[in-house]
Amino acid sequence: MPEAAIAELDFKHRLKVDLFPTIWCPGCGIGTIMIQLAMVLDELGLDDTNTILVTGIGCTGRMGSYMKHEAVYTLHGRTLPVAEAIKEFRPEMNVVVVSGDGDTASIGGNHLVHAIRRNASLTVLCNNNEIYGLTGGQTGPTTPTGTKTLSSPVGNPNTPINLQGLVRSSPHALYAKTTVYHQLHMRNAIREAIEHEGFSFVDITSQCIENNGRRIGFASANEMLTFYRKTYKRAPKGADHLERFQIGTLYPQDGSMAEAQLGTDGSDQPDTAPAQPDGATTSISGSPGEGGATGRRAASAPSPRPAADDEEKARRRAESQRRLALMNRLDPKVKLLVAKREISLEDALRDAGIDPDEVAES
Amino acid sequence: MRKLTQGNEAVFRGAVAAGADYYAGYPISPSTEILNIASAWAATHRGFHFMQAEDEIASANALMGASLAGAKSFTATSGPGFSLMQEAVGYGQKIGIPCVFVNVQRVGPATGMPTMPGQGDVMQVRYGSTGDYTPIAFYPNGVEEAFRVTVQAFNAAEESRSPVIVLSDTFIGHLNEVVDLEEMAQEIEVVPRTIAPLGKHEPGHPRFFAGVLMYEHGPMAGEPATADADEYLRQFYATKQLHLDVAGRYALYEHGWKTDASVLVICYGIVSRVAAPLASEYALFRPIRIHPMLGDELRAIADRYEQIVCIEANDGQYADMAQLALGREVKRVPLLGGRISLEAVRDGIERVLSGGPSEPPIPPAPSERGERSPLGIG
Repeated sequence: MPEAAIAELDFKHRLKVDLFPTIWCPGCGIGTIMIQLAMVLDELGLDDTNTILVTGIGCTGRMGSYMKHEAVYTLHGRTLPVAEAIKEFRPEMNVVVVSGDGDTASIGGNHLVHAIRRNASLTVLCNNNEIYGLTGGQTGPTTPTGTKTLSSPVGNPNTPINLQGLVRSSPHALYAKTTVYHQLHMRNAIREAIEHEGFSFVDITSQCIENNGRRIGFASANEMLTFYRKTYKRAPKGADHLERFQIGTLYPQDGSMAEAQLGTDGSDQPDTAPAQPDGATTSISGSPGEGGATGRRAASAPSPRPAADDEEKARRRAESQRRLALMNRLDPKVKLLVAKREISLEDALRDAGIDPDEVAES
Repeated sequence: MRKLTQGNEAVFRGAVAAGADYYAGYPISPSTEILNIASAWAATHRGFHFMQAEDEIASANALMGASLAGAKSFTATSGPGFSLMQEAVGYGQKIGIPCVFVNVQRVGPATGMPTMPGQGDVMQVRYGSTGDYTPIAFYPNGVEEAFRVTVQAFNAAEESRSPVIVLSDTFIGHLNEVVDLEEMAQEIEVVPRTIAPLGKHEPGHPRFFAGVLMYEHGPMAGEPATADADEYLRQFYATKQLHLDVAGRYALYEHGWKTDASVLVICYGIVSRVAAPLASEYALFRPIRIHPMLGDELRAIADRYEQIVCIEANDGQYADMAQLALGREVKRVPLLGGRISLEAVRDGIERVLSGGPSEPPIPPAPSERGERSPLGIG
């Protein structure tokens, strides 16, 4: 039972486990992304009243149906216009776009370019498996040159699209590259992306064993993950460019996240106003504080949510660990009910005769 | 205050009167005035949101997102842009998203003849997107009516939970008439939002707005029903019935002119204005709700007339529907290429009533006559 395997994890109430097993093939990387996203949402305390998922067509698009969030399953490639409109009309909402590489960069490529240009305050999680998986394995926009697919039987003649370059064409956008193997890194990248005010893009390399991996010589999903482990290395801190097999986060060039970029301990960071971007020198705005491309949102939309400081995050983490320790004392069946939030942990502990304080002290 | 007002502006003012608070669009003649006014309105009215999208695909999809987020959203475009918007129209029909599309028609297909007036999108409105659906569409023939019909379109969109289309054309869009929109705005009734905005769902029951067929109720709710014909039938007929019921509340048409004449002329939009000088000779049936077809209403009227002629700036699109609904011949007078004139209307009616063809006599190309066209091409 997949339920039992993740029963002790506190993010589980965010997933519709009743619908499990998912439609994704065994060995697919999308489930990992979904679980990491659920964990991040849980850590940040975001719930179904303030966070909307917008998903595209393809395998990745089905993620919305497995998460207990209001979700919009858009037409193929149209995640970004839909998400942008939601965010524009309801700036207090967190809008997370989840879609595959074909959806984001091929059929939705034009929308991607312009969502970046408008610095739409969205987080895009791109499940980059370098293939059109749901239709059996055709060349996608991110398929490496030379890869054999169903639609390029002698090898893909074209260069894959440069997502990093596209996203970095805006000084306000955040770009992160990670893989399904590097789960902690992925979680941190997703969290940083969601906390970023402007456009953020997390490019997640993931394995499609059934419709890509086997054709290009991998025997199992595990082999693909091992390949990611061996080839992908962390970029040096403060890097302003990621090489092909590097993972890391590239912060906006406008200086709005300078403290994060330098890796300083920002426990009491001042609320610095974003610097005037280089690219906006032709702006006729009279007020530098509100001018530039960030001005539009700054003027029209209040900050959706104050970012949690490190102290608050540490407190939440400690609380989460304490609850986990308590849940582990419970009978597995009761634990499942608690995880699904059908009964509260406090009630379960009382019924089982466990004193929470006693456990916490020991 | 009575003021000289343009048809396109009246559409915008109607939308605002109906509570519209989101506009996404892409400039295209002859609808661009609506976009311009919307951007100016957003700059001066807090709560009204405007987005100039990168293309019509994005603007139409943005309407869907905004509507789900709680806005009354609309856009304006012309035939080529409306072609790009069709996928979003179908998406809105499938999910049940209230919003309004305004199509200020010009001569197509493709880029066609920008921006001569045409009515070639009557069937695109009906059948443009993939699959079966029952759209509601209106077509005013004046500035005052453009205002009123736009309000009704927003109301019908909320009641039917679907995208509703307002058709217009170059002439109606650019027609200037003296009207008092402020006074009209006092009299209208506005239907409030009918679906809960995103994030304001029933606690514990988040929704999944999917373009694929999903089970909506029962133990399978939330699962795809992509291989279940029974579920498709249930949802399809429920939606169709809802749309027909709502459309029934807006069975708008005009039956007038010389009602005791022997010939009934069917025309709508700008053609009905151009043909008005023939009022002493023929009876008029002017559908304002273009879709669904006003079958019962037309049948009840048509029995009284010996002959029926449908004049329209396309190759007989409404005439086809009328003939099908009536089960008798509807003679067609197509006014093609943007040539909508009283002369063309009168000649056309006389031609088809005397047993002639529906096509007008076609002059030879300029090169055959050894002349150059006025534009210096061809």
